[in-house]
Amino acid sequence: MNAHVPAGTRRGGHVVRILTIAAHAFTQLARMKVFHFLALFAVVAIASNFLNLPQHEGPESAGAAVLRSIKSWSLGAMTLFSVVIAVAATALLIPKDIEDRTLYTILAKPVPRIDYLAGRLLGVLLLLFVSLLAMDLLMTAVLQVRTAIVLGEQRDMAAALGWPPDAVESLLAETRAAGPGWPLQGAVAAVFVRAAVMASIALLISTFSTSTLFTTVVGLLVYFIGHFQADARDFWLQGGEAGEGAAARLASLALALVLPDFQLFNVIDAVIEGSVVPLATLGRLVLAGGYYVVLFTLASWFIFAEKEI
Amino acid sequence: MAAGLLAAGALRMTWEIPLTRLLRGQELLPPRLDTGTRERIGQTSSAVALGGLRTLVATFLNLRAHTRFTEQRWGELALLFDTITDLAPRTRYYWETGSWHQAYNAASHHLNDSKLPPLRRREAWRSSIRAGRAFLERGIRNNPDDWRLHAALGFLLTDPNKVPAFGDADDCFAAAADAYRRAAEQPDALGYVRRSMLYALARIDDRQDEALALARALHAEGARNHTPTLLCLLLVLESRADPRLDTGRRAIELFGGERRAYDALCNHWRRTRERFPVDGVAAALRSIEARLGIPESESILKSPPPAPFDPDQAFGN
Repeated sequence: MNAHVPAGTRRGGHVVRILTIAAHAFTQLARMKVFHFLALFAVVAIASNFLNLPQHEGPESAGAAVLRSIKSWSLGAMTLFSVVIAVAATALLIPKDIEDRTLYTILAKPVPRIDYLAGRLLGVLLLLFVSLLAMDLLMTAVLQVRTAIVLGEQRDMAAALGWPPDAVESLLAETRAAGPGWPLQGAVAAVFVRAAVMASIALLISTFSTSTLFTTVVGLLVYFIGHFQADARDFWLQGGEAGEGAAARLASLALALVLPDFQLFNVIDAVIEGSVVPLATLGRLVLAGGYYVVLFTLASWFIFAEKEI
Repeated sequence: MAAGLLAAGALRMTWEIPLTRLLRGQELLPPRLDTGTRERIGQTSSAVALGGLRTLVATFLNLRAHTRFTEQRWGELALLFDTITDLAPRTRYYWETGSWHQAYNAASHHLNDSKLPPLRRREAWRSSIRAGRAFLERGIRNNPDDWRLHAALGFLLTDPNKVPAFGDADDCFAAAADAYRRAAEQPDALGYVRRSMLYALARIDDRQDEALALARALHAEGARNHTPTLLCLLLVLESRADPRLDTGRRAIELFGGERRAYDALCNHWRRTRERFPVDGVAAALRSIEARLGIPESESILKSPPPAPFDPDQAFGN
């Protein structure tokens, strides 16, 4: 039947199929009550605002340190949740489809296996996007409220101490910069891209894995080892200078060639510390993440295409 | 497929390396965690930190540091701040706080802790202050554009209770003036930094000409800089440059009134702990007291000013 369909429509058919499978995956994951973790995040974000944890700051800072603390806790929780969801949700999908026999129903139709994989991955990415959006909104709201409180306290403190206007303005500007803003969105984008790469790796593992547990454990291991990829690469590039053995150098090369460089996405720490990721740099990070996602999805397809189901 | 993955890996090295360099150049990637730091924070925290959550681990350690502070475990506190700043080297708060704990809190504890013999207390006091300074200087090397860290160093080096720990007072004030100068060079520095630079320069014996030039420049900038300390120092420096100056008349001119001049100069006369020069101040006070009709028996010059901080006396040597 496809032979009678014009080529342009067939290409459109790919997109429609991928979107349909993605929507199905998203619904399937939502029904698994994945979003319940958002309640936990809400507790973390709100608790980081209202718990008066001991700080060493003097009265002149009037609670400004808590803003860094909220960002640190919130972005940390977003990173952990997004990585765990990316790995666990992707690891669940193929085994669940086999268990429900959905996979046979889908592949019995003229659905290319790459469409199936891309659709499932897109569904997970959609889930990650919606989850991060919700967490981002909550973090921004909490920060907004707390920043307003801190600014008010600082104005009162400066008035009581008779600070000159330039000193007051400098303090308030610093506090505003520590509050919610676009630089923070750069960090959230980096969290999303890293989670997307993790989802594509979990997809690759799940194509040859024997169980969900195996995929999850190996996926999380890859996540941590991926943070050493840059070290392995440097070890290879500088190899021989300290008399390292050939086997060690080859192992480091293999690590550097196969695993993604997750350290690239550690710009989150710099944003929490007050740096701003330039838009061009953020664009390059997104492109880097895109390269990894495409690469690991294609690798998944090569394995899945040969798999007997 | 394995060959394809390896080929793609080799291809991505061509942009991974420049991207890493770019991010490091823009100071968006923190320096690598050294082995010592990894050992200090333990395996779990190390894994979390390597997973891109270094600031989160630093936040937790900061809470732990607060406990060490309340328990007065200064050695462990210093080590904790070393670790915290390894994890979050661009957060000024940690550098300021770590230095403050060592140079002020630990030093005060050693000054008053009677459990140690005097010589050991004195050595612990001295080394705490020096460690606080070294910590702050390390913070400055990590954040050379942060004017507040430079200003914090200047503040520490001009603290009358800390200066004796650094040895030569002139060297100490010169280092403070240099710290304030570097702070003032930053575009977002507040105006008080240049005044603080003057206050440090004025206390160095062989840089009084430089101090006078700066005092005149600051005074000419307007009322914002006409603080009592600056006006007193301008008078003192002018008096030193021209010993024949009628300091009483000049003080009234600078302060805009006899009473204001008298109150400010009395205060300056008694700030001996801070080691400010007092050239011409006694003459000015005598002259203004005569104008105000203050009897000689009630003269400020009759009551001895407080002695500067002396570690020998404080530690009972």
